[in-house]
Amino acid sequence: MIEIKGIGRRFNTRDGGSFEALKDVSFSVKDKEFFSIIGPSGCGKTTLLKMVAGLIRPTAGTIEIDGREVAGPGNDRAMVFQHFVLLPWADILTNIGFGLELRGMSRKESREAARPFLERVGLTRFADHYPHELSGGMQQRVGLARALAVAPDILLMDEPFGALDAQTRQLMQEDLMRLWEEEQKTVIFVTHSMDEAAYLSDRVLVMDTHPGAVREILDVPLARPRGEGVRVTPVFTELTSHMWHELRGMMGDPTAPAPD
Amino acid sequence: MSTRTRTRIISILGLLTGLTLWEVAGRLELSPAFPPVTAVFAAIVEVWASPRFLDALKESLISIGIALPPSIMLGIVVGLLIGRYRPMEWALDPLVNTFLSLPLVALIPVLFLIFGLGRGSILATIVIYTFFIVVVNTAAGVKTTDPQIVEMATSFGASEGQVLSRVMLPSALPLMFAGVRIATGRAIRAVIIAEQVIGLIGLGGLVQRLGGAFAVEQLYAVVIFVGLFGLLSMEAVSFVERKALPWAIFPEDTEPALQGA
Repeated sequence: MIEIKGIGRRFNTRDGGSFEALKDVSFSVKDKEFFSIIGPSGCGKTTLLKMVAGLIRPTAGTIEIDGREVAGPGNDRAMVFQHFVLLPWADILTNIGFGLELRGMSRKESREAARPFLERVGLTRFADHYPHELSGGMQQRVGLARALAVAPDILLMDEPFGALDAQTRQLMQEDLMRLWEEEQKTVIFVTHSMDEAAYLSDRVLVMDTHPGAVREILDVPLARPRGEGVRVTPVFTELTSHMWHELRGMMGDPTAPAPD
Repeated sequence: MSTRTRTRIISILGLLTGLTLWEVAGRLELSPAFPPVTAVFAAIVEVWASPRFLDALKESLISIGIALPPSIMLGIVVGLLIGRYRPMEWALDPLVNTFLSLPLVALIPVLFLIFGLGRGSILATIVIYTFFIVVVNTAAGVKTTDPQIVEMATSFGASEGQVLSRVMLPSALPLMFAGVRIATGRAIRAVIIAEQVIGLIGLGGLVQRLGGAFAVEQLYAVVIFVGLFGLLSMEAVSFVERKALPWAIFPEDTEPALQGA
């Protein structure tokens, strides 16, 4: 269980002042839950995810995983990045094994251990290709395989499909869903796509902005396994239109009813 | 005819025209500085095989062999530190930039005062000609490392040493190689200049003696060798670079070779 307790984060600005990115954020994520965080750009959702990853320290509050406070990156977590962030100088197999290599394996061992994950994401043929030879979707499969290879309990995904075209994005969502159903890992998934959040998640946290805070946490009452068909069910459309209503109020759209 | 062959043909025509003009100028005996090019070719055949030349070449190569590799290695280490740690940059940047903009020839007498009229001074000259150029290029390479890759490695638990060796170093390789290539060319210039000051050993010494004796054809034979040798050495570094960095030969904006999700 991941417990976020009263998290806040201030950043110093250039003119000597400070700005509050997150204020008093509290929620918890259950084991093996698929938990999404959605909110407008600049609401601090990525900052929040990086805090769980141990990359950024909160200036207020604590984050606990199974009762232990997060003090930095750890073997129990692995991150998937929006812009893939692969090593351009290493081939695909080495890229997938990179996390293992950092945890003490030799290059040879890590490549060997990476092979099953290469197969899991369907890139067997591309083991010795370089990242620049792969399409965006394939590169993000590498990013996902790299995270899975270190056998984390928790996957932290930062808008992982945000840089992909719509069709690739939908395919990747289905693949991720299938992988998650097999793996049964805890996932925290940051996105700005309401559709994506509703399709994938057990619960969705809708964030407020300026400063970033919890607006509400929605349950997604859709049975699993979910097929493509759920996207056209009344429950799904009602959920996404509710999210849209909440988000559009924050985006300063004058035609939207003012949020209370 | 492809553009490539046409470029080649024009280059060769340009070279032949230049050589012809040189030959004509030589035949007309316009100046003792212009012996006929055919006489220079004859000198090349004679000089390049002479024991005097081969001994001098061996001397120069030994000096480069001793001084260049440690200079490059130290340059890489210092470059990594300057690129990664701001205080190191603040401390060393002015020094490095000063050495890069100084006319180093002016410092050679100082080196001879310190190291004496022997190989020590030649080695020191090679080092000051090569070390700083490797430092700035390596530091620039480290600084262009994508911060997202550093963050990714950190998220997977990379230590500071691993960030340096697994992320910064490979990321800096293309610029590092550029520095090594330039340093190789400069090392050859440095050894000739330093040997000329001593005037007794190496190719520089040979150049000095031939010049003093007004043996212009032989002088050109040695100078042409040095020029070609420099060119080939730098090409050799480029060759190693292409073999070692297969990912770096593709510009960022090329289309991915394989499409599909």
